[in-house]
Amino acid sequence: MTDEGTEAVDHRLDAEHLEFGGGLEILLAAALERVAPGGVLEIRTGSRAVALEMPGWARLTGHELIGESDRRGASVLKIRRGSSRRVLADPLPARGAPERLRAGGELHTADWRGGGPPPEPRPGAGFAPLGAVPEAGAPERHWRLSDSDALWADDVGDLVEQASAQQWDASRDVPWEAARELDDTTERAVAQVMTFLAQNEYAALYVPAGFLPHVNPQLTELVLWLGSHVHDEARHIEVFTKRSLVGGYRGYALASTELSLHTLLEEHDFTASSLLLNVLGEGTFLDLLRFIERRAPDAATAAAARLAHRDERRHVHFGISNIRRAMSRDPGLSEVLVAAAEARAAKLVSLSGLSPILVEALTVMAAASLQPAEIAEAAGEVRALMARMERNRLRRLAACGFSDVTARHLSDLHTPNLM
Amino acid sequence: MSGGELRLGAVSYHPRVVTIWERFRDYFADAGVPTDYLLFSNYERLVDAVLDGTVDIGWNTNTAYVVLDHRAGGGTRILGMRDVDRDWATVLVMRKDDTVDSVSELAGRVLALGSRDSGHAAILPLHFLAEEGLDAAQQCELVRFDTDLGKHGDTGDSELHVVRAVAAGEADAGAISAAYFSAFRAEGVPAVADLEVAWRSPDYYHCNFTVLDSLDAEVAQRWSEALLAMSNEDPSLRPAMELEGVRQWYPGDRDGYASLAAAMSEQALLT
Repeated sequence: MTDEGTEAVDHRLDAEHLEFGGGLEILLAAALERVAPGGVLEIRTGSRAVALEMPGWARLTGHELIGESDRRGASVLKIRRGSSRRVLADPLPARGAPERLRAGGELHTADWRGGGPPPEPRPGAGFAPLGAVPEAGAPERHWRLSDSDALWADDVGDLVEQASAQQWDASRDVPWEAARELDDTTERAVAQVMTFLAQNEYAALYVPAGFLPHVNPQLTELVLWLGSHVHDEARHIEVFTKRSLVGGYRGYALASTELSLHTLLEEHDFTASSLLLNVLGEGTFLDLLRFIERRAPDAATAAAARLAHRDERRHVHFGISNIRRAMSRDPGLSEVLVAAAEARAAKLVSLSGLSPILVEALTVMAAASLQPAEIAEAAGEVRALMARMERNRLRRLAACGFSDVTARHLSDLHTPNLM
Repeated sequence: MSGGELRLGAVSYHPRVVTIWERFRDYFADAGVPTDYLLFSNYERLVDAVLDGTVDIGWNTNTAYVVLDHRAGGGTRILGMRDVDRDWATVLVMRKDDTVDSVSELAGRVLALGSRDSGHAAILPLHFLAEEGLDAAQQCELVRFDTDLGKHGDTGDSELHVVRAVAAGEADAGAISAAYFSAFRAEGVPAVADLEVAWRSPDYYHCNFTVLDSLDAEVAQRWSEALLAMSNEDPSLRPAMELEGVRQWYPGDRDGYASLAAAMSEQALLT
């Protein structure tokens, strides 16, 4: 083949002695990007072997060798760029403004959409990361959870940020030695309370984990949020299980608790689940964990409760924020949520009050003794805890945007199991 | 034809052939030229099937096409081919530290060839080397890898053996198609890392869709137009087209088969 000479060259590449398999393909691809389809790339190579291999490469990659000549001891090849796109997608956009950084050079999740509103999820974009240009022809998937009106929370980006910043280690951040010195009575009570907590935390993990694979990946912050929620709960299961085991006693996993938790798994509406798990269940647990931290007979129990409490605050915050936003967009949602709470309560009619096993364990743990005076004081504290739980439930429901009457009704419907 | 539906024969050189033709069958139905496909295990059987009317269209290798055209007395027509089929070539690959400037230097050395029914890896290399003055059958020690007989080199398996033999020093040079050598590079086949192209043959044509002249010309024309209209910009077609190794279909012509017809005649492969 000889150089036709008349073909206008759009771009030139001097490949020197770079070889196929040694990086030449990279240079060729970059050079061809600078040539429009139908345009001509001229390549100079000092390697005869490269010149001989070039036609096969050009054809394999959808281009055409149109000229070949020798010039001053080197081969000069001309390739006409093919019309076929390498990726079935729009061209990548031009380089945009760099992402905004915070003080200290931090790049926060809450800032990456410029703090803007949630996106309209593109149904066919699949796992295309934020900002990516998805290629056509990928298999489409129907994501059951794709309506940002029902799923989003205005501060979900900040919550994701906090979740990452506040990670902790259940093996090393708890002074486990401190849990080994309690007397039999107190340790047995602690083991029962911790067993109860761990049992509940399983449901707190399984519920968000169940929603996660149905969320449209375009709602990136929400995906990260649910991932963090699941991870938090895994660690709560871990820390409370460890605390229940470390002293040598075992507790009961109560059937009434199991019944209550299974009804959470049966709720498949995301916002209703936000109400039942995040706001009512984990909200009530905030008060319980604070109580345990304050009345813990040992530093390990106190630390476990304190660390879990910090996570649960985020989960409750998300729930309130999600429901407030969803209800402001859908005035009829309040009734739907009440119906969900009523339906759950109907399944729990056999439960009347918190299990006496747990009330007794909480009281003995708080008293750290079976002496009447200490027990009386602790029993009063547990009663006060129950009252505080109710007050705070009403306060959180009001923050969600429920009327006083509805908030009272929802609080009354809440499971005696606390979660 | 059967009830207005064309029957196309292809060789199942790989399981992906089913994926390709399932998609293409739907495409041709949508395009108004319903086409069913029949798979054969080898090209000899496919050529028989075109000649006896079992299928209307044969998706042939160049070798199968030359045999078919010969047996039909030249009474065939080409309805289309891939972009890659239009400028196929054979290369001789050698170890980078032991290459030659001229094929005449290969006299007395070991030459590896692919399956003996492969136009690009066996038949044409001998023909083109002879044109350059090297009678490889007489002057070289030939090592043949007849690993995919009946498939005419479609599987690439014999060519993989060729490059491995050269890389291992069991042969000094190996004949393979330029397309497969570039594909081995792109796939990162380790054996090609220390090999380079020492010689490249003239271009020739490879596969095509062949029919007998007896097929209704208007039907053949419509089928050919539908083939050429296939676009790899269509996301639903692109995967099947990529499996077939085609970005664009072209009309066919006979010009690019003269060298192979000559080679097969010289090598007594047309009887």
